[in-house]
Amino acid sequence: MALLELENVVAAYGNIRALQGLTLAVEEGEIVALLGANGAGKSTTLRVISGLMPPQSGMLRFAGRSIGGLSPGAIVKLGVAHVPEGRRVFPGLTVRENIILGGSNRERPGRAELEADAEKMFGVFPEIKPFEAALGWTLSGGQQQMVAIARGLMSKPKLLLLDEPSLGLAPLIVQQVYRVIADIRRDGTTVLLVEQNAHMALSVADRGYVLETGQLVVHGKPEALWDNEDVRTAYLGGRRT
Amino acid sequence: MSASALSGKTPRGAAGRRGLALGLYVAAALAAIAAVLVIPLSAYSLNLLMQAATYAIAVLGLTIVLGYTGQINLAQAAFFGLGAYSVALGTTAFALPFWIALAIGVLIAAGAGAVLGLTSLRLGGHYLAMVTISFQTILTLVLTNWVAFTRGPDGVPNIRRPVLLAESGPYLGLCIAALFAVAWFVWRLKTTKLGRAMQAVRDNELAANVVGVDAYATKVAAFTLSALLGGFGGALFAGGFAYVSPDQFSFAESVVFLTMVLLGGAAAPPGAVLGTGLLILLPEWLRFLKVIYLAVYGGAVILIMVFMPDGIWGYAMTLWHKLRPERPFDPGFIAPLALTRETAREDGSVILSVHGLSKHFGGLKAVDEIDLTICRNTVHALIGPNGSGKTTLLNALNGIVRPTGGIIKLEGVDVTRLPPHRRAGLGLGRTFQNIRLFGAMSVLDNVMVGAEQPHPLPTLPRERGRVNRNTLPRLRGRVGKGAGGLERHALAALDFVGIAARAGARVGSLSYGHQRLVEIARALAGRPKLLFLDEPGAGLNHVEKDELVRLLKRLKGHGLTIFIIDHDMAMVEQVADHITVLNFGKRIADGTPSEVLRHPEVIVAYLGEERPALSRSHGAS
Repeated sequence: MALLELENVVAAYGNIRALQGLTLAVEEGEIVALLGANGAGKSTTLRVISGLMPPQSGMLRFAGRSIGGLSPGAIVKLGVAHVPEGRRVFPGLTVRENIILGGSNRERPGRAELEADAEKMFGVFPEIKPFEAALGWTLSGGQQQMVAIARGLMSKPKLLLLDEPSLGLAPLIVQQVYRVIADIRRDGTTVLLVEQNAHMALSVADRGYVLETGQLVVHGKPEALWDNEDVRTAYLGGRRT
Repeated sequence: MSASALSGKTPRGAAGRRGLALGLYVAAALAAIAAVLVIPLSAYSLNLLMQAATYAIAVLGLTIVLGYTGQINLAQAAFFGLGAYSVALGTTAFALPFWIALAIGVLIAAGAGAVLGLTSLRLGGHYLAMVTISFQTILTLVLTNWVAFTRGPDGVPNIRRPVLLAESGPYLGLCIAALFAVAWFVWRLKTTKLGRAMQAVRDNELAANVVGVDAYATKVAAFTLSALLGGFGGALFAGGFAYVSPDQFSFAESVVFLTMVLLGGAAAPPGAVLGTGLLILLPEWLRFLKVIYLAVYGGAVILIMVFMPDGIWGYAMTLWHKLRPERPFDPGFIAPLALTRETAREDGSVILSVHGLSKHFGGLKAVDEIDLTICRNTVHALIGPNGSGKTTLLNALNGIVRPTGGIIKLEGVDVTRLPPHRRAGLGLGRTFQNIRLFGAMSVLDNVMVGAEQPHPLPTLPRERGRVNRNTLPRLRGRVGKGAGGLERHALAALDFVGIAARAGARVGSLSYGHQRLVEIARALAGRPKLLFLDEPGAGLNHVEKDELVRLLKRLKGHGLTIFIIDHDMAMVEQVADHITVLNFGKRIADGTPSEVLRHPEVIVAYLGEERPALSRSHGAS
């Protein structure tokens, strides 16, 4: 049984249908990439899964349990962490506080345990360690992105939803973030990833789904997607090396 | 060929509809006045209507300052009181004619409003609200305690009305006429240059500044107008009731005014009138409930606020838009746009030079002694690790942050001390890393704000002549006088980036990529010479990035100079003529792409060894 299953999910912003009957599945331990143009419904898919946006119809199951209509808080408790696009770091809290807050879903976490896990996050992202006492808003965009990912990892999720983790990051840091994503999976976390940077995403993903106007166009293993001429020119871009 | 002929029939049709609407509106006003003159009303009804009409005028002032400009004013009763006491003391102690006393009251209130607005230079949000409360308190104390002048708590009786309007019926007619006129003015204000500037300040003050809006002056204007209307309402109120006392203009009344505008809806004049009418009539209707009527009244207000957070009018508008989905915008024929004040000339001359620029935040040297030269009509890229000071440098260049040291010269003119809106007027445009649009306004209005700049260039007259000979649609002035010319100019900017069809949509409903394009169009509408783009490619997929690259090349072809920050090296390599690299606030490399991207220090600090973006992405084909 897949860890996450979506079946015929429909979601809309007002009159505009963002998802028109989307069906997809993520197996335990996989990295799955969601690809497609702006407005294709990729971020909406993540928002529906994490409960930020209620679906109009369709079925969502996580670890065998229906999660359609549950509150975001309840879904986090089940082990789904969402790192949204645009960072959303708490501006008035320090970096360390931001990261520790990511552990809020745990049952009665000990202070020492949280501190130790936060320290691990600084091991993953040594760039932000010097700023651990700085307020969130003082960080540059890329540093905030690292804090946001670290905060998501703090909930020790079974499923991590990452929305554009490479957005606004220097090439060196993008490579590092993707190494971290690969490490996260090795530690047993399943990852559902939204990316514009198809090359990067497919370099770590086990499978990719390509969306267009809220519907699934094609899915498959990275090699299969690359080998499909139409898919490559329309959705992935350029050539592969 | 005239400007209106070029743009097709849309403006004329709009003008015709506007004329019809004005006709209907005047007819409604006349009908309302005739009704109160003809129908015999009890003294009680007359008083209620008089109170409602004069209060509504003051509440319309709050529509401007709160609804349009987003500033809190908790002293509207004080301005109301200034107007009222001017008429009260003017027509009694000083024996002035009513109209003179009214004019004095309006001027005093407007002057006080301007002074209060001036404090918004250093204060915003709840601090500004506290200043207005203090002002309110001071005025109440003066009215109560300066007995020799204001007659203290006893108040001022026997206030006179104007000759010919001494009877209550005709005087109420005057108040209603004034209300209709003020409501029309406030309604029209929204679509003027000042009105758009107010909404821009409300939605995003920083962005308003960089597209050329003087946010401070706009806020002062909003406070002045709001206070002026408060004083006007108060002056009419004093004449209506023939008696005023300090307790009528207390802080509690200011809260009532604020509740009225929020309850009815602060976004448009009908909300102010609805809210005022409701809060004045509701207690009267509920009087049959005797002892519990105040509790029911309070409960009703709370329920409305909970279920209609945008007020009654806002709620009605939401329903209306649901019933009538937005039609796709048909811009008709769009005249091409003169994008810049420049012609293409890649002659190696310098457009922007920076010497020893520093910005320190406490001990952190975010930008440290940077030298930079940007040549005219080139694409100059700024790259560097996250946190290396790229955005801070950009903010210093266009005036959002004040540099700790150094000199910035735009075309040889020292602009280091100029505020952002003045630099926009001199030809600096920019977009933001985290998109900053005016979220509650339409796409078109967003770009129109960018199109109107208050500060003409010193060199403009010569340029204006040249531009106008080449561009027929803008025969009158820089972008054509009046909203019609602005609208065409804004549409042309939207057309240039390829999203004119979405001009009528609320900007918040657009996708991320489209919002980026709107931001670029807004900057282009200001006809910049030098355009700063902060990560324009972030969040775009490869197809959109290819479009962006083509757009940048077209812009360069039009003579624009572009200074761009981005992390997509494939894109940067495609468009950049020159690259500057920052690390820890210092410049570590500067030169052509081929030099800089092979620079060992750049590879170690920024690119990394693998350089996957370069070898794999669309730029490599």
